[in-house]
Amino acid sequence: MRQALRLTLMYLRAYLRDRTAVFFSLVVPLMLLLIFGSLNLGAFGKVSLAIDDQANNTGSQAFISTLEKIDTLSVKHISADTALAQLKRTELDLLLVVPKDFAIASTRAGQPVPTLTMYGNDARPQQVSVGGSIINEVITKLSFAVNQSAPVVRLKQEDVQGVRLRYVDFLVPGILGVNVMQLAIFSVAFALVVDKRRGVLRRIMATPLKPATFLVSQVVTRLIMATLQVLIMLAVSVFLFDVHPVGGILPLLLVSLFGAVLFLTIGFALAGWAETENQVPAIAQLITLPQFFFSGVFFSKEAAPELIRPVTNLLPLTFLNDALREISVQGAGLWDVRGHLLGLLVWTIIGFALAVRFFRFDRF
Amino acid sequence: MTAIVSVRDLRKHYGDIEAVRGITFDVLEGEIFGLLGPNGAGKTTTVEILEGLRKADGGEAVVDGIDVSKDPARAKERVGVQLQQSAFPENFTAKETVELFALCYGVTVDAMALLQEVDLADKAGQRQEKLSGGQRQRLSIATALVNRPRVLFLDEPTTGLDPQARRNLWELVRGIRQAGTTVFLTTHYMDEAEVLCDRVAVMDHGQIIAMDAPRILITGLLGRGFSKPVIQQQANLEDVFLDLTGHELRED
Repeated sequence: MRQALRLTLMYLRAYLRDRTAVFFSLVVPLMLLLIFGSLNLGAFGKVSLAIDDQANNTGSQAFISTLEKIDTLSVKHISADTALAQLKRTELDLLLVVPKDFAIASTRAGQPVPTLTMYGNDARPQQVSVGGSIINEVITKLSFAVNQSAPVVRLKQEDVQGVRLRYVDFLVPGILGVNVMQLAIFSVAFALVVDKRRGVLRRIMATPLKPATFLVSQVVTRLIMATLQVLIMLAVSVFLFDVHPVGGILPLLLVSLFGAVLFLTIGFALAGWAETENQVPAIAQLITLPQFFFSGVFFSKEAAPELIRPVTNLLPLTFLNDALREISVQGAGLWDVRGHLLGLLVWTIIGFALAVRFFRFDRF
Repeated sequence: MTAIVSVRDLRKHYGDIEAVRGITFDVLEGEIFGLLGPNGAGKTTTVEILEGLRKADGGEAVVDGIDVSKDPARAKERVGVQLQQSAFPENFTAKETVELFALCYGVTVDAMALLQEVDLADKAGQRQEKLSGGQRQRLSIATALVNRPRVLFLDEPTTGLDPQARRNLWELVRGIRQAGTTVFLTTHYMDEAEVLCDRVAVMDHGQIIAMDAPRILITGLLGRGFSKPVIQQQANLEDVFLDLTGHELRED
């Protein structure tokens, strides 16, 4: 134990001396954060609209299907209670409740008409105003068709206080996840392939040092670097970009380190498999690049083509980013993100099996 | 003198290739023993089995009374090792490299004293990757001495060194033997074996084909009627080179 600790400190000191390693594990992540944090990507996009159709009659169905045909709207059907909760978390822009007495029929002047209630997320004023106008337009058209005059239904609007989710709030958890992945895979794979090829590992294995002690020192060195990386990025996010991780810093750090362990196993498997350091970047990019784009780092994972989404939803970084984002943005606790953590655990087991298979001390 | 390394009918094959084909020899306590042979003769495999880095397929290898195949960890504690490629983790200074290896053996050492022993005290604070070839070989020997080994294994210690650095390393090896450590080295330089080793074993195709003191092997050959086609010169080009450039180490 003492031996592992002292070994870790020795390796950490060497790691911090390596300018390239420090650049890639601390400076590059910060650059990513600063560049993308100052952009305002994903500003508008579609208006997400939830509909609770309490009438569920031919009239309401016709009305809703008209709304669904409109490109700007992304319509989903959920109950009003669920939708209200989502509105508060800004996972939704609008909720439209269609009342039981909804009907599209001609009315006489002065007769009371059914009232639709629209709840708008006040954190997304642009989306609410665009969505509201579209719904009003549809109502006017439908009314004109049957009545040629007054609207057959009335639209009442209410505001819901949603979290003000800016792009940078979305971005920060993704940046944490992707950099933890890069650090864990690249730092282990590169360093250990070089050490393997040059005979360093063989020389160490000629001493009575237990392989497990050596591995622990390597893993802990990287976990310390990952901790440093996460804390620096969170500090910049909080103080420079005014991001408030709702779920707290500690759960974010713990989940990041869990992710780091997972990606470290992949790094070790890669270090064991590769013959030279030239093979490392190719394979490492092959592993990390798809996750870079499809695991919800810079934009929503829903941006992945529908066809491959069943796969991209199961990528290790997707689980990590989803967990980090729910903690950071929605204030979820560790128990709330247990589904994602389970996904990470399954990947860790797979990675561990690969590492054991490929990273063999008796082969060095 | 008693045997400190004892090898009996040792065998090792890689796939179809029989690298070591049942070799038997003893290394006596306090001697400098050389295992000679061309590349691919099986020298390194033999040494690596004795160092506990490879498992033998058959036979027995005992180092300082410990059966290496049964208890490699304990055997590793008794020996010092210099591998053919001496490489160390990057971004460690010479002194830190010695300390790293001491930690691997779970011992504390006076790293500066060890560096002094191999004439590297003035390079203690320098990154090991910036050392010259000869300096790195001496650092490698320092790391092999951290556990005060009973036997020091040196695998081709002077390959790639200039004549000055080679002679300097020979002196170092003699000094280590003088201090009571048995030295087991492999080489394919016959002049090195001749001046340095008390006894040598010649290995080829995985077998030991001759074993004795270098002088006796030479006398035996002459006794069989061998003579060189040209008259032996009293000096060779290396002597000229050393006369012109001096014996001092050239390092920056």
